[in-house]
Formats: sequence, C-alpha cells, structure tokens
Amino acid sequence: METNTGTRVFWTGLVVIAAVFLLFPVIWMMMMMVKPTDIMFARPTEWLFTPTLEHFSYVIEQGFHEYLITSILLGTISTLLVVIVGTPAAYAFARFEMKGRDDLFLFVLASRMAPPVCLVIPYYLIFARIDLLDTFVGLTLAYMTFNLSFFIWVLRSFCRDLPVELEEAAMLEGWSRFQVFRRVILPLLRNGIVATSVLCFIFAWNEFMFSFMLGGKAVKTLPVAIPTLITTQGVRWGEMAVVGVVALTPVLIAVFLLQRHIVRGLTMGAVKG
Amino acid sequence: MSTVEAGKVSVKSAHRSEPVWYPYLLIAPAMLTLVVVSLVPFVFAVFISFHEMKFGRLGDFAGFENYVELLSDGRFWNAMGVAVLFVAIAVPLEFMLGLAGALILSRPIWGRSVLIPLLFIPTMMAPIIVGLLWKIMLAGSWGLLSYNVIEPLGLIDGSSVFASPDLALYALIFVDIWQWTPFMMLAYFAGLQALPVNPYRAAAVDGANPVQTFFRLTLPMMAPLLVVIGLLRLIDAFKVFDSVFILTGGGPGTSTEMPSVLAYKMTFEFWNIGEASALAVVVWLLFFVFCNVFYQIAKKKLNAF
Amino acid sequence: MNRTGYKMLRKTVGLGLALSAGLVLGPGSNAAMAWSYKEAAKPYAGTTIRILDEITPLQETLATLVPGFTEETGIIVEFELLNHFDVVNKGQADMLSGRGYYDAIMLHGFQLGPMLAAGVLQPLDPMMSNPALMNPNFNAADLIEPSYSTTGGFGGKQYGLANWNYNQVYWARGDLLTHPDEMAAFKAKYNYDLKPAETFEELRDIAEFFTRPAGETLAGKTLESDFYGIVMEGVKGGSTFLSLWGNFIKSFGGDIVDAEGKPTFDRPENIAAIAAWAELWKFAPPGMAEYSLVDVPTVMGNGIAAQAIAWSDFVLGIDKPGTSPFAGQFVYGPMPYKAGMKDKRSVEAEPSVTVISVHSKNAEATFLFLQWLAERRQQEALLNAGGGGVPIRESSWALPVMQEGNLAGLFAAMKSSLEVGEGKPKMPEFYELYDVLTGISQEIGLGQLTPEAGAAKAQAAMLDICETCLLQ
Repeated sequence: METNTGTRVFWTGLVVIAAVFLLFPVIWMMMMMVKPTDIMFARPTEWLFTPTLEHFSYVIEQGFHEYLITSILLGTISTLLVVIVGTPAAYAFARFEMKGRDDLFLFVLASRMAPPVCLVIPYYLIFARIDLLDTFVGLTLAYMTFNLSFFIWVLRSFCRDLPVELEEAAMLEGWSRFQVFRRVILPLLRNGIVATSVLCFIFAWNEFMFSFMLGGKAVKTLPVAIPTLITTQGVRWGEMAVVGVVALTPVLIAVFLLQRHIVRGLTMGAVKG
Repeated sequence: MSTVEAGKVSVKSAHRSEPVWYPYLLIAPAMLTLVVVSLVPFVFAVFISFHEMKFGRLGDFAGFENYVELLSDGRFWNAMGVAVLFVAIAVPLEFMLGLAGALILSRPIWGRSVLIPLLFIPTMMAPIIVGLLWKIMLAGSWGLLSYNVIEPLGLIDGSSVFASPDLALYALIFVDIWQWTPFMMLAYFAGLQALPVNPYRAAAVDGANPVQTFFRLTLPMMAPLLVVIGLLRLIDAFKVFDSVFILTGGGPGTSTEMPSVLAYKMTFEFWNIGEASALAVVVWLLFFVFCNVFYQIAKKKLNAF
Repeated sequence: MNRTGYKMLRKTVGLGLALSAGLVLGPGSNAAMAWSYKEAAKPYAGTTIRILDEITPLQETLATLVPGFTEETGIIVEFELLNHFDVVNKGQADMLSGRGYYDAIMLHGFQLGPMLAAGVLQPLDPMMSNPALMNPNFNAADLIEPSYSTTGGFGGKQYGLANWNYNQVYWARGDLLTHPDEMAAFKAKYNYDLKPAETFEELRDIAEFFTRPAGETLAGKTLESDFYGIVMEGVKGGSTFLSLWGNFIKSFGGDIVDAEGKPTFDRPENIAAIAAWAELWKFAPPGMAEYSLVDVPTVMGNGIAAQAIAWSDFVLGIDKPGTSPFAGQFVYGPMPYKAGMKDKRSVEAEPSVTVISVHSKNAEATFLFLQWLAERRQQEALLNAGGGGVPIRESSWALPVMQEGNLAGLFAAMKSSLEVGEGKPKMPEFYELYDVLTGISQEIGLGQLTPEAGAAKAQAAMLDICETCLLQ
C-alpha cells in the first residue's frame, strides 16, 4: 500500500498527542520516582527539581525484587498452563459441531461471572483444608479460574477465521490430527495466542484479591506488596512510584517483544490466499 | 465476506470423518480444570449461601434466609443500580474509543512498535496503583490536577471530584475508561491485523469507499471479537473493586458502592459469609441469564459465535 | 468505670500476680529474682511462632528488636508486617477459618468485639498467673490506663497485652498561630488571644479565621491557592466516624449506646456534637469526604490547612526535615473539649493489643514473646531507636527522648490523650454499625442531612442492626 508522507505525519501526530494525554499521569509517576519527599506535592507544583534516589533504597531493602520475581514466575507459569490447556479447547469450540457445544461454551464463561471477592473465602476454606494456602500451586490454580475462561473465549474468536481448506488438504496428505493441529492450526493461531496470552499475563500480573488471601509470606506478588507502602503515617509516595514503574517494565518489555506477532500487518491474510 | 461464509459452510464437510469424541478430547483438559478450580469453589459458595455463616463458622441450614435478607436490603439494590450505571456508561465508551484507537493504529504510522506498548500502559498497571495515581491527580486540594486545573478554573464549586456525591461515580467511570480503553484497543487491533486481505482487495476493485468497507467488511468480520471482548469487559466492569475501594471506599454515602465493594464489606468486615455468598450467586445468576440471551442474539443476528 | 476504678483494678491485678507467684514458689524462694526469659523459654526453645502485625515505621523499628528475643530464648519468631486493611482481613480470616497459621495477631480495639463474639481469642489469664511464664517484675501496673484494661479486658479476663496506643491529637501550624499580624487580627475579631485551640469553640473560631481564598494574605504572604482552617478524615471507612464519636460525641456527654447497649444515637448531646463537627466541614478543604488517613497528613504536610485532628503517629511521618517543608513549625496540643465540660473530656484512641488465637499450638511461647515486647526494656529500646513511638508504659514518658527535641510537644499531647483514651466497647456488630454510621456522617458533613435528621436516620439504622449492641 503506497502512502504519502502527509498522511503518515497526520496519523502519527494524532497518536502521539493522544499518547501524551493518556500517559500524563504515568509521566508524573516517573517524576515522582526521583522527587524528594518534601516537595512531592508542593504548592505551587515544582516541575523541576534535583532528582534523588532515596526512594529506591527502601524498595530494595523491603525485598520488593523478590516479589517481582514471584510475580514474573506466577504470571508466566499460570499463563503458559492456560495456553496449553486452553488452545485445543478454543479450537474445538470454534471448529466442531458437537452436542451441547453452546452450553459447554457458556459454562466456560460462567466461571468468570461471580465477583471474586465473594469466592475468595470459599477458596480460602478449601485451600486451608488441603494445605494449598501460601503455595505456588494453589495460586496457579486460582489464577486459572479467571484466565482460562478469558483465554478460551477470546482465542475462539480468532479461530473463527481459520481456513478449513488448509486442514482438509493436510488431512488428505495423510497427516494425523495431532500433526494438523501442530503444523497447521498453531502457526495460523500464533497471532491470536500471543495477543490473548499477553492479556492473560496482565490479568495475572495485576491480580490482587486471590493473591492476597491465598498467598502469604512464601508466595507474595507485587500487587500484594504495594499496600505495605500505605502506612498510617501516610503513603510512601516516592516508593510507590518506584514500584509502580518497576511493575510496568516487564510487561512493557514483553509487549514490545511480542507485538511483532500481533502486528503482522496484512501478511496474515496472504496465507489464506 | 466470502471466506467467512465459506468457512461456515465447510465446517461439517471438512470433518465428516471425525470421530464424535475428538472435539470432546480437545476440550476435556480445559473442562476438567474449570471443574476443579472454578466449579468446586462456586458450588461450595452456593452451599454456604443456604446456610448461616457468620464469623466463618458454618451454621444451620437456613433455606432462602440469606437471599431474603439480601434482596430486601436497600443497599444491595443501590449497589446493583450503581453498577448498572457504571457499566452502561463505561463499557460503550471503552468499546467505541477502543475500536477507534485500533482503526487509527492500523493507519500508516511511524514508530508504531514503540507507540503500541506505550499506549497500552494504563492496562498494564495494577488497579491499586491506578487508584493511587488518580488520587494523586484528582484528590481535593492537594491533587495535581485539582490544584493546577480544576480549582483555578473553578470547575467544581466547593467540592472535589471524589468527594462529591454527584460526581464521584463519574470520576470512577473516567478512571475505568482510562485504564481499560487501551485493553479494548489492543485486542481489537490484534483482531484487525488478523483479518484476511482478499475481501479488501475485492472491495478496492469494486471501488468501495472507506466507510462502506468498514461497515460491510471490517465490522462483520470483526463481530466475533468485538462481541466477546465487549462482553468480557462488561462482566469485569460490573465487578470493579480496587479503584473504588482506594478512591472513595464506596462513599460519599453509598453513591459509589459497587456490588464488589458491598461484597467485600460483607465478607471481610461483617464476616457474614452466608449473605456474601448469596450475593455471589445472585450476581452470577443475573449474568448467566444475561449471557445466555446475549449469546443467542449475537449468534443469530451477528453471526458472532 | 472511672479512672480511680482502673487504678484499683490495676493494683488488685498486680497484687494478685505477686501473691500467686509467692504462693506457688513458697516463702524464702528467690525464684522471683532468678526468673529469666531464658529459663522460662527452655521448654519452648526451637519452637517457631508466627506473629502478624501492622506495618508502620514504628513496627518496622520493632521488627529490628525481634532477633534479640530469639537470641535470648531460642524461640524463633516469624514477624510479618502487613498494611492496615490487610492485617485486619488476613488476621481475622486466619482465626475465623480455623486455619491457625498465626499464633498471635495484632487487633485494633474495635476488632475485639466481633472476635470475642466469634470466640477465637485465648484469655491470657492462665499464663499470666503461671509463675513459670510470667515475669514477676513485668509490672503490669505500669501499662498505660485506661487503654490497657478497656481494650484487652472483657468479662474479667485479659485477652491481650498492650501493643500500640494509637491516639488522636490536635495538630496545628505554630508559625501561623504565633504570627503577629494574625494574632492582632484574631484578637480584633474574636476578642481573645490566638493560641492553639483548647475548646471546640476555639477550634471552630480558628478554623473560620484561617479559611481564606487565594489572593488574600496569610501570615504576611499572598496566598497562591485557597487555604483552609482545618482538616480531618471524612472518607467512607477510615476513621471518620471514630473521630466524631470518640472526640466530639463523647466530649459533649453523649454516646451511641447506653449502659445496656441500646442505641441512643438521637439524644440531644449527640446532635449538638454532630452539629459542631459538621460546622467544621465548612472550613475544611472541599475534598474532605474523600480524605482518608492518607490525605490528612498530606494536606498538613503541604501547608493547605492550619489545624488538624489526626492520629498522633501520623505526625511522626510528616514532622521531620526532608518530608515536609513545614517540619519543625508544627505545634501539638491536647484534643479540644467542649467549653465548660472539661470533666467529660474524651479523646479518640485506638489502643491495639496482640492476641493469641485459640488455634495457636504455641500459646506459651507466644505469650513469652508478647510479654517480652511489652517489657520496659524493649519499650525503652524501641522509643530510643528514634523515629518516635507511641508508649504503652507510663514509665516511658520519663525517657529523655520523649521530652527533648522538636517532638516533645507531640508526646505531651499524646500523654494527654492517653489519660482518657479508652478502647472501644465490645460490639459484635461493630463493622456493620461503623459502616452505616460513617455513611450517614458523611451526608451530614456534606450538608445533605441536618444533624437532627441524620441522628434520627442513624438511630433507626442502628436499631435495624442490633437492639442491644454490646457483647453480653
């Protein structure tokens, strides 16, 4: 598609302006990371100041880097499990006529309908009984409740557009079902899987209620550690900003690296041609 | 268009030889997982909802007592009303802004690989940080925007956004839109990128203008994703908790008391687990009916499933 | 019970402890002299106990003392600190579910009612009367009253040793109250001298006096933004209603329940108190209905208001160089009272105790730890470690660190608050009541309800929750 520079400048400018407005609070948070406490909310607002690193030391002292690692592990592993378990299901729901398909499909969504606040005590009581509180396994399981349904539903709408002809051709070649799934379906679905699993990872990354009640000293994620910065002596604003920005970084990097799978431009369609 | 229809028609023929059990095998792991991690706790909650359970001790069978108590409580209906208003404003706006953003991002743009992750930042942030960040922005008197914009211009007289019974809910809706529009945008953008190119070529040959292309091609082909993401967001928006809890605690009065905030209080403050479970079941039932109806309509009218 | 009553009770308890120790050990035994944590802990050495406490800079300092206990006794302590809401939720969930992961949990005074109603707390009396466990020199009579007995004590039993004596104080900008221009103008307007408020009437006048829009002059400088006379908590949740109840309603001679526990929200004293409180909203920043314990210190620290009613430990986080540009210019005072009713003076306090869960399997080892923390030695080390603190022992007031430096005024104010600061009455439905009453208070503060109408609504709402609101 040929594009003249004027159009490009227009759209780029529009997006950049929108981004600046959208991200203003985040930019402010980045400034707070290095802003001395006594002028944090000074009136009139101090836009220029000598940066300080005082907020970083507390965050490290408090072991926030350990919570970061827990969060990364928990987010990654629970998302991987969701992808492994959810992809065949999403594909099956999209492709096959089966008895009770609609009911089963709605059952999947039903697991996401009740407010988690109400379910956390039943979970807590069950987990306390079978010793899963404050364990990695326990939290991974709990995270699958909200992410598996999300993954299956969203990925299924990507599966809808898969060309059946390719599968048929492969079957005629004598490929097994497994081979068809692995070599034909998965590559075609890569785009959708990446996009959906990024969203799942973010849900897991930011989850609070389950992690707080079902986790503990051994398994503590970043969002659960954040409220310890809100003390009765006020919020440690600078530290909060540090944690907020640090918590962003891994997701930002992941999205940056993975987006080439999402942004495949129009080549995706070419496969079908 | 043709691809979509072709796919639909050929579903049966392509797999005529498939054994009946094959699709069930594919969904079995997911279904088993959901039964274990989701159904069991929910059934337990249903069980609790028919019992007295104050202070964590499972008491006598109580029949529908918890439900009667819940449904006759004005606060419950207030919470449902607040949530309906919240969802009715927030989700359509997020939907439209998200779709518009996705379409704009699909235009030729320099540095898109950098801009996409940046635009996605609000969704990446933990809701608890989002709540605190908007407190910093909009808190009465000491908030950055309150002090530099709202108060000098006299936009709100004698109050602040989160302290005003009339404005607090809209301020929370604004925060929700800020956080979740990028989510919609990224999902829709990924969907747009996955659309087949042939129909567009055909449309270009036919001389269709962009508006026609959007309504005749993009929208129908995007329908499944639009509907699914919209529905999931709707369910999530109804349950919003963290930002409300941090910014207003459900106040002033009960003007921002969403069902999740009420459920939180029933659970962790009043420790009336029986009634909290009844609330979970009622909300669940409402969504179940809603999603069923929605599913049937979307399936027939929009060919979305 | 009045204060003399507490003193007598204290003496009786102390005497009882001394007597029981003497009886068991027999005359002539010098075991009392020989009692040591090392000896007492011998049967429990190597045990691990888990303690859940609330995170504040004070407790963070406390955590640094904990290894000393392990060194002395061989009992291993996992000391976990969580945020206020989290420690409440998680601590209660642990006890109520029967999980029993934590041996001891910090409870705020108001939590005692619901938790006692649920029957999840162990009385400490068997251990306190066991000479093998109780240090004869512990000197429980030194613990600050009435907070100690009213918080951890119920039905003749003691459920917790003092942990923190959170309390509220009057907090003001000294630089403004002593500015010559302001003093002259105040005198001209109100016919008395400007000084830290002693009565609610003065609090109101000073609040009115200093509430000024941008452009006017404050202490000789032109204001660039609006300035307010007072700031308090006003958010749903938080301690909005605690402050109204403990500081205002009770100081006006009212209360929300009578001696039997029947709701009495609509009595005239309460309405007068609420009216006085609601009037202060006019002189407060417009966002007060969203102000939580996070905002009050932020507002004071950034020079937006002249006075505050605040938790005294908040101040410790603000009144230090590098945190607020106004550090060192703050003054503190006893909580104001209703003019002419000084004898009814009441101050909101939230004494907290650490309780032992009924599910704990290490009650004795845990008791030793709690006792050790409340020992004079540890309390002095804690307060001397700097960063301030909230004493639980009378003897702590005499420490040099409490009397010197720029915070001496704060500690004097704290002492005054704790002379009358009581634990909350034991109400099983405390949370339901608190939630509803805060919402109604906000409506009154925002002017949506008159004090009379609000009090009537609150009375009806209370009756809806409990006919008798005190634990029987």
